[in-house]
Order: sequence, then C-alpha cells, then structure tokens
Amino acid sequence: MAKFGERLFNWFDERYKIRGFIEFMSHKSVPQHRHSIWYYFGGVSLFLFIIQVVTGILLLLYYRVGEDSSYESVQFIVSKVKFGWLIRSIHSWSANLMILAVFIHMFSVYFTKAYRKPRELTWVTGFLLLILSLTFGFSGYLLPWNELAFFATKVGTEIIGSIPVIGKELLIIVRGGEDVTGATLSRFFGLHVAILPGIFTVILFIHLLFVQIQGMSEPPEWEKLPPEKRKYIPFFPNFLLRDLLLWLIILNILAVLAVFFPWDLGKKADPFAPAPAGIKPEWYFLFMYQTLKLLPPKVLFIEGEFFGVLIFTVAGILWMLVPFWDVKTEKGYRNRLINYIGLFVLIYMITMTILGYALS
Amino acid sequence: MRRFIVLILSLFISVSALSQTGDGCYNCHKDAVGDKATELYPGDVHFKLGISCADCHGGDKTSDDMDVAMSKEKGYIGVPKGDKITSVCLRCHSDDAIMGKFGSKIDVKQFKLFKASVHGKSEIATCVTCHGVHNIKKVTDPASPVYPTSEVRLCSRCHSDANYMKRFNPALPTDQFEKYKTSVHGQRILKGDVKVATCSDCHSAHDIFKANDPRSTVFASTLPKTCAKCHSDADYMRGYKIPTDQYEKYVQSVHGKALLEKGDLSAPACNDCHGNHGAIPPGVKSISHVCGVCHALNAEMFSRSPHAEVFEKKNIPQCEICHGNHLIEHPTDEMLGVSTKSTCIKCHKEGDKGFEVARQMRDMIDTLVVRASKAKAILDEAEYKGMDVSDARYEMNDVPQILIKTRTVIHTANLNEFKETIEPGYEIVDRVTKSGLDAIYEYYFRRWGLGISTLIITVLVIALYLKIKQIEKKR
Repeated sequence: MAKFGERLFNWFDERYKIRGFIEFMSHKSVPQHRHSIWYYFGGVSLFLFIIQVVTGILLLLYYRVGEDSSYESVQFIVSKVKFGWLIRSIHSWSANLMILAVFIHMFSVYFTKAYRKPRELTWVTGFLLLILSLTFGFSGYLLPWNELAFFATKVGTEIIGSIPVIGKELLIIVRGGEDVTGATLSRFFGLHVAILPGIFTVILFIHLLFVQIQGMSEPPEWEKLPPEKRKYIPFFPNFLLRDLLLWLIILNILAVLAVFFPWDLGKKADPFAPAPAGIKPEWYFLFMYQTLKLLPPKVLFIEGEFFGVLIFTVAGILWMLVPFWDVKTEKGYRNRLINYIGLFVLIYMITMTILGYALS
Repeated sequence: MRRFIVLILSLFISVSALSQTGDGCYNCHKDAVGDKATELYPGDVHFKLGISCADCHGGDKTSDDMDVAMSKEKGYIGVPKGDKITSVCLRCHSDDAIMGKFGSKIDVKQFKLFKASVHGKSEIATCVTCHGVHNIKKVTDPASPVYPTSEVRLCSRCHSDANYMKRFNPALPTDQFEKYKTSVHGQRILKGDVKVATCSDCHSAHDIFKANDPRSTVFASTLPKTCAKCHSDADYMRGYKIPTDQYEKYVQSVHGKALLEKGDLSAPACNDCHGNHGAIPPGVKSISHVCGVCHALNAEMFSRSPHAEVFEKKNIPQCEICHGNHLIEHPTDEMLGVSTKSTCIKCHKEGDKGFEVARQMRDMIDTLVVRASKAKAILDEAEYKGMDVSDARYEMNDVPQILIKTRTVIHTANLNEFKETIEPGYEIVDRVTKSGLDAIYEYYFRRWGLGISTLIITVLVIALYLKIKQIEKKR
C-alpha cells in the first residue's frame, strides 16, 4: 500500500514537479506570539466560504428563480427536500458568520498593521473580497422573495437613486426597471450564483497566493527582536491542524444554530402590500443605513443621503488604500493615528448598529 | 242612534252655516251649476268643519259676481293638478296650529313622509289618489276608501294593473291582491274582520318604500318586527287562538340570529316561510318544500328517505318534527342517535332498524369528530415544535366539509350512502395524523442527528487537539 502511494506520488512528481511545492510547504512556518489567534480568522472565513459554495450548489438543485417560483421553491426546499431545511439554514447562518469572520479578519490585520509593505496588495484584494462578500449578502438576501427581503432590497437600492445625475439610471440598471420586480430578482440571482462567484474565486485565489508566497506577517515589534527570540510553528501540519480544529468547532456551532434557530422564510413578497413596520437591512449594513437615516435632508449644499453615500465611498477608498498612506509604519515607527482611526471606525460601526436595532 | 242624530244635526248646522255665512261658491254651484263636486261635498269631512270651496280652490266666496269670485286677482286657481293638489292640502295639513283649531290629531308630517316615499312623485300619486276628493272621509269611517275593508281594493287599482305598473316598475309583480285573497288576512277581511293586516299595516300608509330599501317596514331585517306588532300582542290577538310567542322564539332561532344579529339578509324572515301577501301557515305536507327552497339538498335527500312516505301517511310535519318551527336552533349531533336528547327516539324504539341506523350514524360522526380533533392536536404539537405541516393543515380543511355533507346525508336515513360520505373523512384524518406524527418524529430525528453529529465532531476536535499537543511535544 505504501509502495503504491509512493509510486503514485512519483507518477505525479515526474509530470508536475510537485516535490518542490511539498518542499516549500514543509518549510513554511507561522509566527507564534500573543496575537497569533488573529491569524486563524482568514482560515475561518475561507472555511465558511467553502460551506457557502457547497450549500449554495445544493440549494441550486431545487431553487427556481422567478416571482412565482422563488418563494415556492425555497418553501419546497425547507419542507419537502430531504435535509433541505438543514442546507438552507446552514447557508443563511454561514453567510452571516462569514461576514462576521471577514470583518474580524480585516480589523485584526488592520490593528496588527499586517497590511504594511510588502503586503499592500494582499490588503487591497482582501478589501475587495469584503466588498464582494457584502454584495453576495445583499443579492442573496432577496432570493427567497419574501416580504422582509423585498422591502429591504427596495429600501437598500433606493440609496443608489440619491446619487446625482446618474443615480436614476443606475437604479434602473440595478433593479432592472423602476421598481423591485421579478427582473430585479433575476439579475440578483445571476449576480449571486454566476458573476460574484467567478470574480470572488479569482480574487480569492490571488489573495491566497499572496499569503502563500509572502507567508504570515510578523508583528512590527518583532523587527527589533533578535532572530532566536522569534518563535515559529510549522505551517504543515501544526498550523493547518489548528485551523482544522477551529473549523470543526465552527461546523458544530453552525449545526446547533441551524437546528435550534432555523432561518425563517416569512411571508411571500407582495409588491402591492404596504411595507411592514421595522424594515431594516441585514446587520452588516445597518451602520450605514442608520447613518443615512440620521443625516439631515441637506448637508451643506448636497442631499443628505448622497452626502452619506459620498462619505462612505471616500472612507472605503481611504480604508482600502491605508498601506499606501500609512508611511510611518512602513518606516518602522509606531503610528498611533492608525489605531485611533481604527478604534473610531469600530466604535462607530458598533454604536450605529446598536442604534439601528434600538431605534426601530 | 244618538250618534246618528248628532251627525244629522251637525250636518244641518254646517250646511246652514255655509249658507248663512254666504259661501257664494257652494251656493251658486249647488243651485245654478249642480255639479258632481258640489253634490258630494256635504258628505266630506272638510265640509262638516266649515271649510269652503275657496279654501282649496281660491277665489272670493263672498262675491256674488262669478267673474270677481273666480278671478285670478282673488287667488282663484281652478282645479289644482299634480303637485298643486298636495300644496293645497298642505296649507292646513302641515300646520299644527291650523289643525289644532279643528281639534285634529292627524300627524302634520304626513306629507314629508309621503314625499320621500316610493309614491312621492305627483305623476304616481297625490293625496286625492287614495283619499278621494270632495267626499273625503275619516280613515275610521267605513265609507273611506282607505278603511281596512276598502284599502286592499284601493291599492290594487294600480298595483294589480300590469299595464299601468309597467310604467313605473316593470319588475314589480301585480298579483299581490290575488295572493292576498288566499291569505288568512285576506280571507278574514273579506268576512269583515278589520283587525287583520291590510296593505298599510305592513307597508305603512304614507312612508312606503321599496321592500329592498332599509327604510321600508317590510325590509328583510325589519319585517319580523312589523309582523310582531300584531302577532306578539296577546291582547290584540285574543280570539284568534294562535300563539303570540313566534317573534320571541324567532329571534332566538338560527334564522333570527343570522338575520337580526349578523345582518345576513339571505336568512329567512317571516315572509320567506309563510309567504308575504299570501301569508298562511304552511301545511304539514308542504313544510319540506318551504324549507327546501333554501335547504334544497336536505329536502331532496329527505324526499327519497323512508321517512317521507311514513310522515305523509301519519300526517307528521316533516322538517318541523325534528327541527321545530319558529325556534329552530343550530342543529347539533345530539339530535342524532339514541341518547335522551336525540330526536330519533321520538319514533324509534330499541330493536327496530331505524334505532340501529341512528345509533351507527351517530357513532361514526362522533368517531370522525374525535379523530379529527386528535389529528389537529398532533398538528398543533408539530407546529409548536417548529415543524412545517402546512400541507396537512390544508388537507384538514376538507374534514369540516365532509362533516357538513355527512350531516346532510343523515336526511336520507340511508346507512350505505352515509358511510360512503363519511369514509373519505376518516382517510384524510389518517393521512393528516400520519403527517403530523412524521413531523414530530422528524423533529426528534433532527435533535438526535444533531446530538450524534455534535458528538462525532466533538470527539474529532478532542482527537485533533491531542494530536496537535503530541506533534508540538515532539518538537
């Protein structure tokens, strides 16, 4: 048996030179220090993404997009398809946990300044993956075509209309018409199962490639430590096994959530019905939504809502470009301003999210 | 005799009063013209009260000169037509003070009521159409055209004339008078009993509205009270030897509650069973036909039951023997079977076939009701556990329908037909119970599945943790 394995390995190595890759992997190591825990959140995000892909494909076997079939097919999945309820519930829970893991991953990279040279593009691709994850969440939320999703999408897409000059045209492109209809559902479906997965996979591949090539970032304070004081653990198998351990725990949490708190389907969307009270977007959009709600109708000479969109866009771009303007850290100095900005953003997001729930 | 003398005396006084006060109109028309109106007028209630021709027609009753007396300058209007007739009558009849002078207690709102009524347009009717002219009598005067014995014929002058009625309401039947003659009311009035209902007793006199107008006294939900005016008055009805508790019973009945409490206008009022113009208690043999007008299926099933023939032979009132008449309550399963509350045991005794059929039918209905309620409880439990049983819940909706059908089929008294109807109900309940139990099983299966998978994953986690420790120790 061992011989067969060796022969198989040799067969592949002869053709694809995998020995070199194995060699590279076996020498790969991960820094071990008091902030090492944050290294795992990238892996958790990846694991949850894999769950999303697998459960998403399974849902796709029964899901039928359309005003007259989306809700009905999801209802069929959760009530008739064997284990359909479990797959759908895991898909919804995993989506939320993935966004949470991606946020934690991003803030941990930010506060540990792991974005600094030479990992600027890892940060940028990571940020793009966050934006794509949020788009995944927004487009997927509408697909069951239930009342809450319908009105949340209506309110969410309306924000696009506040952009001057091109807003209205852009809104029509996003919605596939003036209003949220079956056309919106169709394009959100296309976005969710074809366009986004394609782009996401490519960027994810690049992101992981960068991580593999450059390895894990070491904390800035290590640069002053003598090499013998720097501790490492092998990537394979130690780090990977730890990763696997966490993944199994996450899987357990997902199973418990899916069984004890199955995701509701709610009532079917009725475009002619009045919007139910307390319509709000998913929790990860709530800080932006709440900000837009609290803004006055006019800020200076521009529409309040557009002002909010403008601020978030500029802030997002600045956030994405942080490795390029944080020159102090790059040169090996402590940059406290970065920490203050990060703390402000974090506190702002948490406060606005809590306000969003408390004020509705 | 004394009254007659008083009447003659007052007539004499009035005539002489008119002559003596110099009512030129009356004197001249009586002596020189000799027309019909003047001939009739001394018999008119107004003549006796000293009302002159000029009071209605205008002009100067004191002038001997015809040209002056009947001149426009003196307000002479000639023979009033259309709306002018009512305005002439109204001059006194809408004025409390004037009417008071004559000691009259006649309601001065009559015209207002009349104007709003279905007859209120002058081309249909005016005061004189019903009360006559120049020989108007008090309504209590047997000579009055609106006296009960005359009133029916008065109304039928128009209402029985199909050609005339077409002009106003082509859909309105014109057989009311014919039907009325067949009713108990009609037959009695022909014998001179003025206590029975005539047209105005039900439709009112001046404020008559279409029967489908909620203001009408014969509107579906008002009609029972209209009938009860006489039929619930024990004093008034004394001598007719019929009960006076029909209204009291009716309001408690399923029909009364539907019509009067729920406002369901399709529910029967008195007239729907007894007829309206031809009102008469339905005969023993016609009860099932009367009830069958609405309860068609029950009536059809009853007509082919063994009961139909026996009831006819023994003169047993069909539907009424089980359901009652005015106090028809919502039928319950208690009415069926062989318990003390059952109606079947009124005729059937233990050992006979009907007794056995009634017992079996009741048992089967009770079984379905109990099993359906158990199935519902199982669905409730499954739903409470968060399971989706909407399909089973939907299927369960057919059970009440089957129960309604089954309870209807009782009227055939045919056990085989009854079984055929109720059996689909048992099948549904079986399927629903199974779906509910499956859902509950699935609930526990999920919990167990979760428990087992959590256990496996936990074991894996521990194993992995130990493996990591082992590897790290080696280093």
